[in-house]
Amino acid sequence: MDETNQVIRTLFMTLTQLVQGFGFTLAIFGLTLLFSIPLGLLICKGRMSKIPVISLICRFYISVLRGTPLMLQLLLVYFGPYYMFRVSLGNDYRFIATIIAFSLNYAAYFAEIFRGGIQSMSKGQYEAATVLGFSKSQTYFKIILPQVIKRVLPSVSNEIITLVKDTSLAQVLSVTEMFTRASAAASKQVSVMPFIVAGLFYYAMNLLIEFILNRVEKSMSYYS
Amino acid sequence: MSDVNNDIVLEIKDIHKSFNKLEVLQGISMEVKRGEVVAVIGPSGGGKSTLLRCATTLEKVDAGRIVIGGDVLCDEVDGHLVYCDKKLEKEIRSKFGLVFQNFNLFPHFSVRRNITEALIHVHKKSKPEADAICDGLLKKMDLEAKADEYPCNLSGGQQQRVSIARALATNPEIIFFDEPTSALDPELTKGVLTVIKELAQEKMTMVIVTHEMSFARDVADRIVFMDGGVIVEEGPAYDLVTNPKQERTKAFLAGY
Ligand SMILES: Nc1ncnc2c1ncn2[C@@H]1O[C@H](COP(=O)(O)OP(=O)(O)O)[C@@H](O)[C@H]1O
Ligand SMILES: [Mg+2]
Repeated sequence: MDETNQVIRTLFMTLTQLVQGFGFTLAIFGLTLLFSIPLGLLICKGRMSKIPVISLICRFYISVLRGTPLMLQLLLVYFGPYYMFRVSLGNDYRFIATIIAFSLNYAAYFAEIFRGGIQSMSKGQYEAATVLGFSKSQTYFKIILPQVIKRVLPSVSNEIITLVKDTSLAQVLSVTEMFTRASAAASKQVSVMPFIVAGLFYYAMNLLIEFILNRVEKSMSYYS
Repeated sequence: MSDVNNDIVLEIKDIHKSFNKLEVLQGISMEVKRGEVVAVIGPSGGGKSTLLRCATTLEKVDAGRIVIGGDVLCDEVDGHLVYCDKKLEKEIRSKFGLVFQNFNLFPHFSVRRNITEALIHVHKKSKPEADAICDGLLKKMDLEAKADEYPCNLSGGQQQRVSIARALATNPEIIFFDEPTSALDPELTKGVLTVIKELAQEKMTMVIVTHEMSFARDVADRIVFMDGGVIVEEGPAYDLVTNPKQERTKAFLAGY
C-alpha cells in the first residue's frame, strides 16, 4: 500500500512540475507563431523582390537559418551579446532569447512555404484583378492571400506540429519549460516516468492542434 | 495628346511591341466605333493576344498611341512614348472589360462575389445595388440558379458566362474577348457564342479574338486578319471570309 501511495505522490509531484513548465512551453509556442508568421511573410516578400540586393540578403538569411541547427541559433542569440559586446542582459533574457531564436528560425521556413504558395498562383488571377481595377493591395489581400493560405496550410500545419516538439530545445538555455522540468525530475527520481508524462503532454497538445487544423482545412474546402 | 473622337471607342495607332528581340506587334493601327463588333483572326503566334493585352494595360507598348473611351492611355509626344498616370490608368480600366480564354474567375469567391466584388470595392456601389446588377446579368447569362455556387462546380461554358457577366458588371464601353471558347468542349461553345451574339444585337462594342470563322462572319461587323505582327487584311466580315484579297488570308481561311 505504502509503495502505491509513494508512486501516486511522485506522479502528482511530477505532474505539478510539468504543468508549471507547460505554461512556458505554450508561451514559446504561441509567441513564436505570432512573430514568425508575419516575419516569414516579410522575408518571403523580400526574397521575391525585384531588387537584387534585397532578394540576395533574404536568400542568404533563409539558407543560413535553415542550414544550421536551431540549438546553435539559440545559444548564439543568448550568448552572442555577452561574448561579442560584453553586455549582460539579465535572467529574463533567457526567455527573450528563446523567442527571438525560434521566431528567426521559423520565419525562414515559413518564408519558403509562403513563397511556394504565392508562386503557385496563376498569372491570370493577378491579371483578372488588375483589369477589374483592384489596387495592388486589394489584389493581394482579397484575391491572392486567401488562396495562398489554403494552399500552404498543409505545410504550415507540419511546421506548427514540429514547433510543439522543438520547444523542448529551450532546455539548452535552461528556460524552465516542460522538457527542462521533465529532465530535472527524471534525474532526481532516477526514473523515465517524467519523460513519459512529458511525451503524453506533447502528444495531447499536437492531437488538439491537428484537430483544429483539420477543422480549418475543412472550412476552406468549399472550393478547389 | 488631343484629337479625341467620341464615336470611336478604341483607337490604336501604329503600336509596336517587342519581347526581347522578337517584334510581336510591328505597327498595328485600328479603330473601333461605338456599337461595332470587330473580330480578330489569324494564325497562332500572330500577336492577337499581345494586341489585346496592350490595349487592356496588361502589357506596355514600345511605341504608338492607344485611346480608350476618349482617354489617352499612351501616345507619342515629341517622338517619345508617354503613358498616362496611375489615376487615369485606373479610370481607363473601368472603361473596358476583358474576357480571358481560361476565364480566370476567382475560385474562392461565389459566382455572385466574382461579379460584385469590383462593383463594391472599386466602383463603390452599395451591396444592394451590386446585387441587383449581378442578378440582372445572371439572368441574361441564363445562370440565375448559380449565384451561390463556386466556379469549380460549374461547367466551362457556365464559368465563361460568369466571366462575361463579371466583365459587363461595371458597364464598360468596350469588351475584349481573347479566344473565349478555345478552352471549351464544342458542345459548351454554343452557349457562350449565343451570349456574345446577344450582346452584339444590343450594340455592345466588342473586339473578339476567335477561331470560330462562321461566328466571326455572322456576328462581327468587321474582321481583322493578323499574321506576323501586322494586319494583313481587314474588311466587312462577310466579304473578308467569303472573298479574301490577300494570299495569306486565303491560305489561312482554307484551313477552316
Ligand atoms: N510575355 C511574353 N514573353 C515573350 N514572348 C511572348 C510573350 N507573350 C507573347 N510572346 C510571343 O509573342 C508572339 C505572339 O504571341 P501572341 O500575342 O500570344 O499570339 P496569338 O495570340 O496570335 O497566338 C509569340 O511568338 C509568343 O511566343
Ligand atoms: Mg492568343
